[in-house]
Amino acid sequence: MTTTIKEQNGELVAFFEGSLDTAASLQTEKDIQPLLTADKNILLNCEKLEYISSSGLRIFLQILKAAKPRGLHVFVTGMNKDILKVFSLTGFNNLLEFRD
Amino acid sequence: MITVTNLSKTFLDPDNCRVDTLNGVTFHLSKGEVVGVIGPSGAGKSILLRCMAGLEHPTGEEIKVTPGMRIGMVFQHLNLFSHLTVLENVTLAPIKLLGMGRQEAEELAMSMLRRVGMSEHARRMPSTLSGGQQQRAAIARTLAMKPDVLLMDEPTSSLDPTMVDEVQGVVSSLAQEGMTMVIVTHEMRFANAVCNRIFFMHEGCVLEEGAPEQIFENPRMPQTRAFVQRIRCLEFNISSGDFDFYDMRSQIKQFCIRCSIAEKMGEVTHVVDEMFALISDFRNPIHIEVNHSDLKQETTVTVLQYGAEVSALDNPDADELAVMIIRGMSKSSKTEHTPEGVKTIFEI
Ligand SMILES: Nc1ncnc2c1ncn2[C@@H]1O[C@H](COP(=O)(O)OP(=O)(O)OP(=O)(O)O)[C@@H](O)[C@H]1O
Ligand SMILES: [Mg+2]
Repeated sequence: MTTTIKEQNGELVAFFEGSLDTAASLQTEKDIQPLLTADKNILLNCEKLEYISSSGLRIFLQILKAAKPRGLHVFVTGMNKDILKVFSLTGFNNLLEFRD
Repeated sequence: MITVTNLSKTFLDPDNCRVDTLNGVTFHLSKGEVVGVIGPSGAGKSILLRCMAGLEHPTGEEIKVTPGMRIGMVFQHLNLFSHLTVLENVTLAPIKLLGMGRQEAEELAMSMLRRVGMSEHARRMPSTLSGGQQQRAAIARTLAMKPDVLLMDEPTSSLDPTMVDEVQGVVSSLAQEGMTMVIVTHEMRFANAVCNRIFFMHEGCVLEEGAPEQIFENPRMPQTRAFVQRIRCLEFNISSGDFDFYDMRSQIKQFCIRCSIAEKMGEVTHVVDEMFALISDFRNPIHIEVNHSDLKQETTVTVLQYGAEVSALDNPDADELAVMIIRGMSKSSKTEHTPEGVKTIFEI
């Protein structure tokens, strides 16, 4: 599992690649720290994310909670069918803003 | 059509030791029968087919074949001639071996390609086709020799899982058309759906034969039972947090492919992964089992928490997100209390 953060078109974009499962979540939590102090909208790019577990969702939630009080948007894009299913089972599809 | 009596095949290894690969195989194959041959690696399945196809000479008794009958064989590995088009591959044998004219051979080839849904690709080179398309072309090529019996050695096992269905579809339509076939396969669900007789091979013998229901659900011989169950059960023992979770995931993936339930791979993985997250304390060992019954089309995940009284799923402090995912990914769950601990059983 790798996480890369880049600035693109005035946004912070996080590229997730691999499986964000229970075992990988500790490292990913460290990798996304820069997003928690962001002053720009955030895009979570999931095109290369194969899998997400509840611990991965909790990391997304953390990003969302940090962005809200600062009036920033958190967008998600590129989810596969399995990840969309996890989002809909847990109500995350109502929390996140989708982008095509 | 074919009567095999007491068939044996012995090889001499480099040290001149005898290797008995077939040991007194006896059966009769009638017209229209579709036989599935299953059994562990090295049991002699391929050798049996090769002997029936005349590619190996039996050491023991003869194989009696109705005079004039043709036997065709399709191999596991793709074996089209790469420098010929699909059509040329299919017409080659009718022209060279049956002495057909080109025109007649091409008409025959096109009708065989149509039968396997490959007519639109007739002019393509094999390397431009997917594995499934190549294997269907190989079947058409064998059909062009107008075989009375078709032998297939694991026709789908070298294919990507996404291509297995198209090839199995062709094989089942051939079965419906009344083609007599002997198919070596590891795909139990496919064997159950298409075959009307199953041979279980073990150490060079057909140890047990019968209808698919008998072999898969009520095998008589302990070796058959062990084989059928091994295919259907995957087990892990976890006694520390250092457990290799990546290896387990890849084993779950392989297992789902083997059982032809690739579509359930995600659900099984999520349930196991989230149960892991809920348990998190591995001072007491955990036993996980994934089971699949082909005939009932039932997949279950069983998590045994040794020494525990309450399932991690029913713990009042259990993480809500993990529980939601587990509930959503499984059809149902129940807990059982055993002397060893608590078992949580999920139907997937
Ligand atoms: N040419 C040969 N010389 C010596 N031994 C051979 C030869 N060909 C096959 N064998 C042996 O015969 C046994 C049966 O082989 P066979 O290929 O029929 O197994 P199989 O049931 O098809 O296994 P798999 O499921 O792995 O394909 C094996 O132990 C194999 O090593
Ligand atoms: Mg073989």
